[in-house]
Amino acid sequence: MFLTALSPKQTDEASLDIMLVQQVLQRDMRAFEQLYDRRCRLVYGLVNRIVQQAGTAEEIVQDVFLQLWRNASQYDASRGPFLPWLLIMARNRALDTLRLKSERQRRREDQTEELPGICTVPAFETQLDEKRRVSRIRELMTGLQPQQKRAIELAYFEGLSHTEIAETLKEPLGTVKSWIRNGLLRLREGLQAT
Amino acid sequence: MSNADQFGELLEAYALGALDAAERAALEAHLATHCPECTAALAEARWLVSQLAYTAPEAAPSDMLRGRLMKIVREEAANEQVTQKQRNRALADAAKPAVPYWMWAVAAALLVVSIYSTWDARQLQQQIRDINNRAIAELNSREKIEEELDAVRREASILSDPASVKIALATSQPNAGPLQADWNPKLGLVVSGQRIPTPPGDRVLQLWLIPKAPGAKPLPSQVVRPDANGNFVLLVSNPPELLAETKALAVTEEPAGGSPQPTTTPKWVGGVS
Repeated sequence: MFLTALSPKQTDEASLDIMLVQQVLQRDMRAFEQLYDRRCRLVYGLVNRIVQQAGTAEEIVQDVFLQLWRNASQYDASRGPFLPWLLIMARNRALDTLRLKSERQRRREDQTEELPGICTVPAFETQLDEKRRVSRIRELMTGLQPQQKRAIELAYFEGLSHTEIAETLKEPLGTVKSWIRNGLLRLREGLQAT
Repeated sequence: MSNADQFGELLEAYALGALDAAERAALEAHLATHCPECTAALAEARWLVSQLAYTAPEAAPSDMLRGRLMKIVREEAANEQVTQKQRNRALADAAKPAVPYWMWAVAAALLVVSIYSTWDARQLQQQIRDINNRAIAELNSREKIEEELDAVRREASILSDPASVKIALATSQPNAGPLQADWNPKLGLVVSGQRIPTPPGDRVLQLWLIPKAPGAKPLPSQVVRPDANGNFVLLVSNPPELLAETKALAVTEEPAGGSPQPTTTPKWVGGVS
């Protein structure tokens, strides 16, 4: 079921992720270790960027991977590739931790208790390897206007809403909305052109 | 602008989690209508937003995290194996019959032994009954033989005793000889005959004592049926009448078992002197 759900466009690395998850589902500890070794740096980097505290970040990463070990069946390959699913889970956990610290009201689409929604790889996506993907995304982010980049980072890494970002940057709400929307569209176009 | 166009502008911000409450609620209400364009666009927007993770500075978790995580996973896997084994064992136990097979075998063996024992006991009881019956038959036979021996001894004693009175019972039958009677006052009366015609059918010969008293009826005594050679010996241990008070002896042919009164004319008669 896992393999048949893969689209032809999915990379060999995405296929390997799904195969490993399938083996984890069969309680294969070596597959779990392999999956952790493959993805822990990306997950930890994301979580640490959000919570800005190494100890807390490690606790969150541990929770995320333990949830994967205990509930690997929650991942449904028919609803999208594995890595975005894992990253959305990790981000949600990290932002929940931030929210608890600041007692900010929840405003995000997803919540930790819920599983990530359907995630589709766009038709334009090419089979970039991991290094080229990192390089390309960073290059595109750097190419955004500083305000666009800053607004997107406040939303993605700090979980702020349009209104909160406008207050933080002391800019009009409509302007912030445009920065975020146009910045994401530029990223999309940039990836499409790769 | 269509609904899809209107809400489509919000999808990236929604995937990013940046929408304020009112816009988020409105978009979610639209998504609940299963708008195909927005559903597909949102799925791609989620993928796009997930790519932002690559913009975070690279960092590696400590080796301690890896060790801690794998230790927990190993322990949980071991517990799962134990639990699975217990579950399998429970399933296997549940599949087993409440009474073990070996106990059924023992019960069956005991049943066979019990049936055999019952049969054997009945056989033994039957054998005991047969032995008892044979013993009783032997005893009866012995008693009969002893009675016959006693009778023979008594007959011999009567015949050899000088005190016995010999009485000849004559007959008018042309093909039969006389009968001989020996009467001893103490030992009894013996009547014997040789080459006597066998009475027809099951009829028998019956001895009668004719009292001396006037008008007295004949007293019935024992019956006898001659053997194949026409011989017989009849012993009357306790004659119904004393020798001195008897006038004569007579023998008639009577139905089987004898009669209380003579039904035929005497075939042998002998006076007691």
